[in-house]
Amino acid sequence: MSKQGDMQQELALDVNHLFKNFGGLQVLSDVNFKIRGPELIGLIGPNGAGKTTLTNILDGALKPSGGTVYLNGKRIDTLPPYLVARAGLGRTFQVTRAFRRMTVMENLLVPAMALHATASRREFEEKAREVLDFLTMSHLTNEYGRALSGGQQKLLELGRLLMLDPRIVILDEPFAGVHPRLMEIIYEWIYRVNDEGKAIILISHDMETIFTLSKRLLVLNYGDLIADGDPDVVKDDPLVKAAYLGEDEPAPASPAGPESAKFALPTRQPGQDDSADDEEGRVNA
Amino acid sequence: MMKRSTLLRIGLPAALAFLLLIAPLWIGGSPYIMHLAITAFYYAILAASWSLLAGYAGQFSFAHMSFMAIGAYAAALYGTYIRITTVATETCREIPFFGRWLVILDPIGISQSSQTNCLDLARQTMPAGSMIIQPSIWWGLLFGVVAGGLFGLLIGALVLRLRSTYLALFTIGFSEILRAVISAEIDITQGQSGLEMAPLFPNGITLFGHSYSASDKIPPYYVMLALFLVIMLILSWVVSSRIGLFIRAIREDQEASAALGVHVVRYKVLVFTITAMMAAAAGVIQGHYIGIITPNILIILQMSLVIAMAVIGGLENIYAAAIGAVILLFGLELLRNSFTIGPVTIDMTTWRLVAFGLVLMITLRFFRNGLISPLIDRVMRRNVARETVALRNAATAAATPTATTAGEGGSDE
Repeated sequence: MSKQGDMQQELALDVNHLFKNFGGLQVLSDVNFKIRGPELIGLIGPNGAGKTTLTNILDGALKPSGGTVYLNGKRIDTLPPYLVARAGLGRTFQVTRAFRRMTVMENLLVPAMALHATASRREFEEKAREVLDFLTMSHLTNEYGRALSGGQQKLLELGRLLMLDPRIVILDEPFAGVHPRLMEIIYEWIYRVNDEGKAIILISHDMETIFTLSKRLLVLNYGDLIADGDPDVVKDDPLVKAAYLGEDEPAPASPAGPESAKFALPTRQPGQDDSADDEEGRVNA
Repeated sequence: MMKRSTLLRIGLPAALAFLLLIAPLWIGGSPYIMHLAITAFYYAILAASWSLLAGYAGQFSFAHMSFMAIGAYAAALYGTYIRITTVATETCREIPFFGRWLVILDPIGISQSSQTNCLDLARQTMPAGSMIIQPSIWWGLLFGVVAGGLFGLLIGALVLRLRSTYLALFTIGFSEILRAVISAEIDITQGQSGLEMAPLFPNGITLFGHSYSASDKIPPYYVMLALFLVIMLILSWVVSSRIGLFIRAIREDQEASAALGVHVVRYKVLVFTITAMMAAAAGVIQGHYIGIITPNILIILQMSLVIAMAVIGGLENIYAAAIGAVILLFGLELLRNSFTIGPVTIDMTTWRLVAFGLVLMITLRFFRNGLISPLIDRVMRRNVARETVALRNAATAAATPTATTAGEGGSDE
């Protein structure tokens, strides 16, 4: 909340000529993009495309082999992860990383207190309760993280991000293995955070959610950013089709605008959700 | 409910502390039990501080006894080699020190009886009325704690990138190197013979109108108890503060903690430093109480004993670890009593370690959180399950009429 004032200031993320190699393996090759304001961006690509590496570089966990990243004019690619988080970039992980032997409340207090050096626990407990209300997890406040279901642990990670209150959020597969009812909450979470003026980068293999939610799509293919633009345009890009979406059938486009998507939550066919971890199966279904 | 938990959190430890304060009224007459009590506090400090490092922060270090030894040896070296004189000796290494002279004596050699002390030579030439002062052991305590803290900082910084097995191996290596160095530097440390340390109160002390000699157990009991209580207070503050929150988050997931803004390096090094200082303080007081310090306190068995105490009590709870230390120490003493069943006499002086090993194995296999920690958890978290169910039921009850009025009740089924 304290950053709300700053938030009105245009958010700017600049990724310039990013390279990353592990030994002889080129994982990212001259990746460039800019984010201005509260954009809602989908990031897709086949396994090994470099999505997670890109995320780890943006978050400070990995240093790039070349290139720079600026967040609101501040260079962040040289910073350690905790300073990147404090500078305003938050993320979730592909495999859920709830603090299992800490209570749900403690999980939420960690980012809030890390961000405010002199604050006391009590100051943030009220905010944490609001977050838990929003996530419909109030009854779990004092339970340990390990007692939560996989989906609830994903929600808890999103709750921690609300407490961190970053300017830009990277969500790595937030819908994987999540029950449709909890997916509704994640959708709401995304719209709420976006409405608050934060940019969101959404990584998912679930094309339906990507096309429903994103207003801009980035496509990575073996280290190259092969497309960046309006999802409806990108999906017809021959390079993207060849690399990821497939040639035969178009990916399911959002039937209506994102506004209606707020309320028309995933109308999944029985058996379609969770049935295929195989991304090809999902994309071409 | 709040009142009850406050009572448990503050009242119970306060009552226990009070009991320990008045315990000498009953046990004061038995030097043997007093000795066990002092030793129990010493191990309780080590086990509780190690539980902060290993249980809360997840840094399974074998160097804890090394920090204890560094503290004890720093104080012993200070007591053996540092003197203050009112005039320059001209024969010793000395530096001006607040209008006096701080003298560093020569290495004492293998046997103290054969030493040729530069001060003995100086005495003959020093003017009448000049004084040679043995500085207070309490400054030695400070020196030992600072030395322990510095090594804690160093080791904490060196092991930042090491996890689990590698951290354990590194710290075992450090501990063995320290033992070898102390054993090898015979001229300075007297090697296996050990360094003598002055009693806590060399001239005795008067407490509550009673005069106690240097060898009485009551004064060291209160000194070790005071140190134990102060350290438990600091530890309980640490675990309930932001430090406690962050180190547990680091234990759970270092990368996720960093991604949430936690300065992992700072808190890992900090917890190493704090716990090393605590171990060092315990080492200094124990050294002065026992009167001698030898490199044998660094054998792996000693560290294993502290680990066993914390594990049997409960690694993730400082109070459980401290209680585990006390129970184990007294338990091992009780097991010394041999007994006879029919024609067979069991010599428990040797078999007690078997019993101890069995308890440790059973704890590790069946009670991963120790024997004491689950009891504390049961008391402190007894309402959590009930609250969770009540809140969930309340939420369901609140949601049902809304769904009915909205007329969409069945849509999300």
